[in-house]
Amino acid sequence: MTRYFLKALGAHFRAGKSLYLLTVVGVALGVASVLSIQIINRNALAAFRGSVTAVSGEADLSVMGRTPSFSESVYPKVLATPGVRAAWPMYRVEVILDEGKESASLTDRLFMEIIGLDFFAPMDIPWRGTSMDLSSPMETSGWAAVTPLMADRMGWEKGGKFKVASGSRQVDLTVGAMVDFQALSPLASPKLIVMDIGQAQDLFGQLGRIHQVDVKLAEGADVYTVQAALEYRLGETVRVVTPAQREQQAEGLMSAFRLNLTALSMISLFVGLFLVYSSTQASLVRRREEFGLLRSIGSTRKQVFWLIIGEVGILGACGVAIGIPLGYWAAQSNVEMVSATLTNLYLLSEISTLELPFWLYGLSAAIGIGGAVSGAVIPALDISRRDTRALLASFTLHEKISSLAPLSFVAGILILILSSLWYLLGGQAWLHAGFVLAVALLVGLPLLAPLMVREICGLIRARSFGFMYSLKGLGVRLQTTAFAVASLAIAVSMLIGITLMIGSFKKTLEVWIGTSIQADIYITPTSWRGKDGGGTLDPDIVETMTDHPSVAAVDRLRGFRAYTGDRRITLAGVEMGLLGGESRFPLISGDTESAYRQVIEEGAVLVGETLARKVNLWAGDLISIFTAKGEVPFSIAGVYYDYSTDGGAVIMDLSTMSRVFDDGPVNSVALYLKEGYDPEVVVDQLKTSLPGSSLQIRSNRRLRTEVFKIFDQTFAITQLLKGMSLLIAVCGITLMLLVLAREQVSELALYRAIGARRSQIFSVYVGKGLGMGLFGLLLGSVGGFLLAGLLIFVINRAYFGWTIQPHFDGWPILQQAATILGAAVIASLYPAIRASRTPATELSRDQ
Amino acid sequence: MDNDSNQIALAFDRVSKVYETAESGPRDVLDSLTFEIRQGQTIAVVGRSGSGKSTLLNLAAGIDVPSDGEVSLFGRELSKLGDEERTLLRRDHVGLIFQFFHLLQHLTVRDNVSLSAMIAGEKPRDFDPRVDALLDRVGLADRGGDRVQKLSGGEMQRVAICRALLMNPKLLLADEPTGNLDDENGGRVMDLMLSLAREEGMTLVYVTHSREFADLADDVWEIHGGKVEAQSETTEPQKGREQGSKGEVRNR
Repeated sequence: MTRYFLKALGAHFRAGKSLYLLTVVGVALGVASVLSIQIINRNALAAFRGSVTAVSGEADLSVMGRTPSFSESVYPKVLATPGVRAAWPMYRVEVILDEGKESASLTDRLFMEIIGLDFFAPMDIPWRGTSMDLSSPMETSGWAAVTPLMADRMGWEKGGKFKVASGSRQVDLTVGAMVDFQALSPLASPKLIVMDIGQAQDLFGQLGRIHQVDVKLAEGADVYTVQAALEYRLGETVRVVTPAQREQQAEGLMSAFRLNLTALSMISLFVGLFLVYSSTQASLVRRREEFGLLRSIGSTRKQVFWLIIGEVGILGACGVAIGIPLGYWAAQSNVEMVSATLTNLYLLSEISTLELPFWLYGLSAAIGIGGAVSGAVIPALDISRRDTRALLASFTLHEKISSLAPLSFVAGILILILSSLWYLLGGQAWLHAGFVLAVALLVGLPLLAPLMVREICGLIRARSFGFMYSLKGLGVRLQTTAFAVASLAIAVSMLIGITLMIGSFKKTLEVWIGTSIQADIYITPTSWRGKDGGGTLDPDIVETMTDHPSVAAVDRLRGFRAYTGDRRITLAGVEMGLLGGESRFPLISGDTESAYRQVIEEGAVLVGETLARKVNLWAGDLISIFTAKGEVPFSIAGVYYDYSTDGGAVIMDLSTMSRVFDDGPVNSVALYLKEGYDPEVVVDQLKTSLPGSSLQIRSNRRLRTEVFKIFDQTFAITQLLKGMSLLIAVCGITLMLLVLAREQVSELALYRAIGARRSQIFSVYVGKGLGMGLFGLLLGSVGGFLLAGLLIFVINRAYFGWTIQPHFDGWPILQQAATILGAAVIASLYPAIRASRTPATELSRDQ
Repeated sequence: MDNDSNQIALAFDRVSKVYETAESGPRDVLDSLTFEIRQGQTIAVVGRSGSGKSTLLNLAAGIDVPSDGEVSLFGRELSKLGDEERTLLRRDHVGLIFQFFHLLQHLTVRDNVSLSAMIAGEKPRDFDPRVDALLDRVGLADRGGDRVQKLSGGEMQRVAICRALLMNPKLLLADEPTGNLDDENGGRVMDLMLSLAREEGMTLVYVTHSREFADLADDVWEIHGGKVEAQSETTEPQKGREQGSKGEVRNR
C-alpha cells in the first residue's frame, strides 16, 4: 500500500496541481497568521524582559516608586536591610532625541531612555571594548554611553555630541563609550543610554531623586522574606518586586492588546482550516471512483482511511514549510507598526529583534499538520465507510450534505441561542465571556450556510443561461459550495464587524475629543507621552505662553504615573475651576455640576470609565492612591468617559494635587484665545518667541489630526489580519470553483455539446463566484453586525472598559461589500477559464 | 441550407483520427474515412467497443476535429471554422442524444428540454410553445414540472430527445440511445426517434449495438479497424413499419 500511496500522490499532484497548491496555500496562510502574531506577542514581552534583564540582570529584587520618583534616602535603608548583600540606585528618565525639528509629530519622535547608574556599584555593565576609565563619566559633563546599534543607526562616534530633551529641558550629551546591553540580553532595546547617576540627576533637575534600587541578596537569603522586610522598612511609597513580578505587570498592561491580536489570528487560522477541510472534501469526492476501486479489489477501510490521512499530512507539512518563513516575514514586516503602537500606548521597549524559539516551530507544525489532518478526519471516515457501489457511481452522486442541511441549520441556531442565554443568565460575570460568544458566532454561523444556499437557490427559476442559472447551480453541489460560502461568511463577519467597531470607536472618539479638547492651542514637551512626570514645562516658559496678549484663559495639566493598590494609573491634575471647563470630562452618570463642585471644593476626584470598571468603583465610593505622604483615600465624585488610556486614569483639581503631592511643574498647558485671534497665527508667534525649544505647540485642529493618526496606527495590524482572512476565504472560492469544474466536467461538456460557447461557460462560472460572494456577504453581514455588537458592548467593555457608542456609517460597509464581491469575481476568473476549456468530448469519456 | 433530399448533410473526406496515448503511443481510431450522407437519410452505425463509433459522431458534430481529412456539415467545411463557429453551427443545426441521457438533475423536465434554447439566448415566450409541443408529442406533457430523478429510463430518454429536437436541427446524432434501456423501452425510444426524424425530414445517424435496431435504418454501416467496412445501401426507408400513436411501435 505504501508503494501505491507514493505513486498515487505523484500522479494526483500532476493531474490536479492547482487543487493541491491551494490546499497548501490555505494551510500556509493559516499557519503564517497565527505564527506572525505569536512571534510579535512573544517578542513584545521579550523586548520588555530583555531590557529589564539588560539593566537589572543580576538583581533579585527591585525597589520601584509608587510616585514618579522617590528620595535617594531610601537607598541606605535598603542596604541596611538584613539579607541584602548589595544594592545600587538608578535614575531613569525618558527623553526624546532632539534633532532640531520643532514639529515632530507624535508618531515620528525617537524616544530613548537614560539610565543613571552608580558606576562603582557591584553590577555588570557591558562596556564594549577595553576596561573603562571611570573618571571620564564623572568629569565630562554630559558623558553618555550609547549602544553600538544606536551609534550605527545615528552615525555617532566617540566624542560626538547629541541633544536630548525631557520636557522643556534640553541637555547636551557626549558619546563617551559604547555599552552593549544586547551582549547581556539580545532582545534589549538599543535605545538605552547610560550616564553617571549624579550627572543625570543634575542635568535633568532632579537632585536627590531616584526611580529604582536594584537589590542582590546575600547567599542563602529567601527572596520573599527580604521582600517583606524591605516593604515594611521602606513604607507604602515604594513597591518591592521580583523581576518576574515586573514582567507580569508589563504583561498585564499589554494583555488586552495581545489577546486581541491572538484572537484575530485564530480567526484567520479558523478560516484557513475551513479551506483545508473544503479542499480535502472536494479532493476525496473527486477520487471516489479510485477509492471504490481500491475497496472492491480488497483494500480495507483502515487502509483507505490512512491513505487519505497520509496524503493530507504531507500537504499539511508542505503548508507548514511555507507558512513558517511566511509568518516570520509577516512578523518582520509588521514589527515596526506594532512596536510603534506599544511605544505609543504602553511601554518604551521597542521590538528590535525577532526571535523564533524552537517551540514555535512545534506549534506551527501542530497547527498546520494537525489542523489539516483534523480537517480531513471526518471526510476520510466518511469515504472509507461508504458502500463500494456508491463510491463507483458517477454523475448522480447523492449529496448527503443536502439532507443534513436542515439539521445543520438547527444546530447553528441552537448554538447561537444557547450561548446567548448562557451569557444573559450569568456567563457575563466571566471576563472571557465575550470571546465565548464570538467563538459561538463563528461556529454557529457557517452551519446556517447549507440550508440557506439550498433554499434560496431552490426558489430561483432560471429561464436563461445567465447569472440566475449560475446561482441556481450553486444549490446543487452543496458539499462544495456551502463550505466556500461558510468560510467567506466568517471572513466577511470579521471584516464588517471590525469595520463597524472601529468606525463606532472613531466616532465616539471624535465626539469625546470634541468635548475634551476644547482649547485653541496646546503646548506640551516633545518628550511627554502623557503617562509619567518626566516631561515637564519650565515655569518661565509657561509664563511666556500665558502672557501672550491673545490668551483669554489657561488650563494647566500636571500628570504622572501613580498607584492605587498594585494597579498603575495615570493621575492628572487640571484647573477644574476653568469657566465651562466641566464639559471637558463628560460624565457617564451623575450630576455634572455637583460632581465638579465636589472636585473643586472638597478634593474629590473623577475616575475614568476604564478604571471604574476594572476596580468596580463608582461615584460615591472611595479610591486610595499612594502619595508621597502615604496612601490617601479620595472620594469619587463621578466617572467620566475616558479613551486616553486602557490602564485607567484619575483626575483631580491642581490644588488637591499640590496638597497631597507637593507643588511640582506642569506637563502641559492649554490656551483659550480671545475672540478674533487665529490659532495658527498665534502658534507661529509662540514658536518664534521660543526658538530652539523642544516643545510641541499645536493648534486644536493639528492635535486632533495627530490623535487620529495614533488611532489608525493602533488598528493597523487589525487591518492586516482582516486582509489575510479575506485572502484565505477568496482562495476558498477559487478552490471550490476549480473543484466544481472538475466535478461537473460532464455537465460542462454537455453544455458545450449542445451549443454553449466558451464565453458563456466562462460567464456562468464567474456568475457562480459572484453568487458565492453574494451568499457569503449576506450571511457574513448578519454575522458582522452581531460581531460588531459583541466587540462594542461586550469585549471592549470587558477588556478595556470603554463605552463605545455604536455608529453606523454605510459608506465603509459598501466599500467593503464592493471589495468582497470584486474579490469573489477575481477569484473565479481562473476557474472560469479552466471550466470554459472543458471539451465536449468529455461526455464520451464519461460514457 | 435548403431541404432538398439530394443535398449532402454530412460528408467525410479521407478523415483520420489519431489519439496520442502516453503508454502505447499513437492509436489510429479512424483511418481515411470517406462517405456522404444525404439530407433525410437514416444511418445506423455498428461496431465493437473502441472501434470509433463515438469518435465518428463527435467529428460529425464538430465536437472534435480530425487529425487528417475534412468533415463537411451542410456544405460547410468544419476545419475552416473556429471553435466558436463550430459550436454555433452545432447549436443551431445538430441535435445530440446520448446513451446515459445526460439530463441535469437540478433542473425540471421542462427546463432540461429548454436548455439549448436558453443557451441560444431565446426568450421563454419564444421557446415555451415548442417545448410544450415536444413534450406533448412524446407523451410527457403532464411531467414538465417534475424533477428528472422521478422519471423512468425510457421517460428520461424521451426528455433527452425533446431537448435534441427543440432547435429544429437538420441533423440528429444519437450515441447508443437505447444502450441504457430495456428492450421494450428501447424499442419505443427507437420508434419515436425515427418517426420524429422522418416527420421533420432530419438526417439521423445513430450508433447501436442492437442488430434489430440497426435494421430500422436506411443503411447500416459497420466500423472496423478505423474504416467503414460493410455498407448495406437501400434507396428507400424501411417499409412495413407502422407508426403508432404517442411513440409506440408495433412490430412488423
